Amino acid sequence: MYKTLAELEKGEVGEVVGFDSGHMPCRRLESMGVRQGKTVTRVSSQLMGGPITISVDGRQTAMGRGIASKVKVKLLERENSGRMSQN
Amino acid sequence: MRILLMGSPNVGKSAIFSRLTGTHVVASNYSGTTVEFTSGNLRLEKETAEIIDVPGSYTLEPTNAAEAVAVEMLKEGDIIINVLDATNLERNLNLTLQLLQTGKPMVVALNMWDEALEHGIDIDTDELEKQLGVPVVPTCAISGEGVKLLTERLGDAATIKPKTEPEDIWHRVGEIIDKVQHIEHRHPTAGQMLSHATVHPVIGPFIAAVVLFLSFAFVAYIGDWLHEEVMEEIFEFVWEPVTGWISAALGGEGFFHSVLIGELIEGEIDMNESFGLLTTGLFIPIAVILPFIFCFYFILSLLEDIGYLPRLGVLIDTLMHRMGLHGLSIVPMMLGLGCNVPGAMAGRILETRKERFIALTLVSICVPCMAQLAMVAGLLGEAGIIGLAVLFFTLVILWIALGISMKFLLKGETPEILVDIPPYRLPYWKSLLKKVYMRMMGFIREALPYVLLGVFAVQLLYTLGVIDLLDRFFTAPAQMLFGLPGEAVGPLLVGFLRKDVAVGMLAPLGLELRQLIVASVILVIYFPCAATFVVLFKEMGLRDLLKATAVMIVVVLVTGTGLNAILRIAGL
Ligand SMILES: Nc1nc2c(ncn2[C@@H]2O[C@H](COP(=O)(O)OP(=O)(O)O)[C@@H](O)[C@H]2O)c(=O)[nH]1
Ligand SMILES: [Mg+2]
Repeated sequence: MYKTLAELEKGEVGEVVGFDSGHMPCRRLESMGVRQGKTVTRVSSQLMGGPITISVDGRQTAMGRGIASKVKVKLLERENSGRMSQN
Repeated sequence: MRILLMGSPNVGKSAIFSRLTGTHVVASNYSGTTVEFTSGNLRLEKETAEIIDVPGSYTLEPTNAAEAVAVEMLKEGDIIINVLDATNLERNLNLTLQLLQTGKPMVVALNMWDEALEHGIDIDTDELEKQLGVPVVPTCAISGEGVKLLTERLGDAATIKPKTEPEDIWHRVGEIIDKVQHIEHRHPTAGQMLSHATVHPVIGPFIAAVVLFLSFAFVAYIGDWLHEEVMEEIFEFVWEPVTGWISAALGGEGFFHSVLIGELIEGEIDMNESFGLLTTGLFIPIAVILPFIFCFYFILSLLEDIGYLPRLGVLIDTLMHRMGLHGLSIVPMMLGLGCNVPGAMAGRILETRKERFIALTLVSICVPCMAQLAMVAGLLGEAGIIGLAVLFFTLVILWIALGISMKFLLKGETPEILVDIPPYRLPYWKSLLKKVYMRMMGFIREALPYVLLGVFAVQLLYTLGVIDLLDRFFTAPAQMLFGLPGEAVGPLLVGFLRKDVAVGMLAPLGLELRQLIVASVILVIYFPCAATFVVLFKEMGLRDLLKATAVMIVVVLVTGTGLNAILRIAGL
């Protein structure tokens, strides 16, 4: 199942599969290490449409939802699947 | 010889810079840009080299102004010290490989080595050296381990120009990582848990409120202590005798006496009230304002080095985005609380003209500097907490309302926040003090001359009778709109040049609480000081400055009138 990074829910894990590389913030994101093939975890998000925080390789990056919605991810299993049901 | 310290943001470049350089460091703008960098000297065996703390960048294909400057500076460097964060090797190697391709001699500092060990990240430095073809030195900038070796190996700096195509760089990074890095275990540390809590949408703002409250309490108490117990004493015992001697030499009166020393209060010099250049002119900025600015920049730089500011930026982004800014513009706002001058200068970190206009206008209208705060607190504080509460409430509401209006009225996009959130780290004290020192020097250089000029101009305008003239002209509107008596007009006019002086003049007028509140609010918002005006002109150009001035005039009329009406209705 595919989603954008903005749609990823808290605790969900995905693999980055696509970018809008003509978009400058996306290129910046890529140079910051959030790039194709990377596994991202949604850490938290601010209320009322505020920025979201993700974690890649144990490092956190925060971004506005507009940027996040330009990154496509493939949904992987949940981080703490031991405790949560998976469907 | 010129050595460049290059690397991504938050890898410890400035900490290594502080280790390598002496006390003589300078901050300057890269010519033709608003991007700032720091440079200093490094004594090597045979010569003294210039060393530059290049603005952090993730890539040599620039995605913002700071990165573009880094690429430009690269052309003028002789040796590169590429600083890497050992806990984040993979991301950092992208830049390393790009740097190698420029064909400049290079040495790699594998910084944060202590953290890497702690996190169970094992990096084979010999193998990394072989893979990259340039010296690799593990360092810990905080303890200094490895830094000496780093300078020794500058002599071995090698020039390698690998034939990696730009699109293959990440692939090559992967190969290198597989060969050199081994991660044993990774469990969440206390630091990481705290990190999550501080950007939590509900808990985060509470923590922020506590942090900000403690910061201001620190500034208020320590600043006050430095002011009263240290600076005032110094002035009393060292400077007052000197000015007394000058006063006597000038014969106690005359033109030069009134400019330099001012008026004698009951036959004596009074640092607070004489209003001469050498008396009040020096005393207010140095003994009253400087201690608070010092404390403020100390706390702010501490929060910055620990890594709290990006988190604060994330928390406040939702609000700031509605004001046409993104969360990181909280930095110019906070700096502006120290002194509007560096606040306005920090607007440079913002990318678009619209953002800079909004941020600078907000700083100059709604953000009171330490000098204003100290003075206004003195004026309103005597009547209890209510006056100050109304003042701050008004400023916050105005800040938000004005931001939202400007966002809608001005053309242009509002870029979104995009920021790396580094783990919490211990500050390196030398680096911290250097930062505070440079911020203080910035204030002394950019603002102090205008403060002195302001004192001089006030004296002159009074002597020439200009203030009296304006006084009569503005008395009627002030009474009608703001409910202020005629005597308050003079001080308010003087406030354009010197807010602090103006407050001192308002105090003896015996105003009611409502009038005091209205006058204080007007003083804080109506125009920034002359120094800030000069900086606004430099930063935004004449056209935008005129626009901002128009905004200021409208805002002060509306707010002054409205507040006066509301307070009357509220029965004050
Ligand atoms: N544990 C640890 N912290 C470091 C080291 N080097 C720098 N720091 C801290 O990391 C933070 C960021 O460092 P800074 O020099 O400002 O990074 P810059 O953005 O590259 O200039 C500061 O709080 C430093 O005190 C190191 O080797 N080990
Ligand atoms: Mg730095």
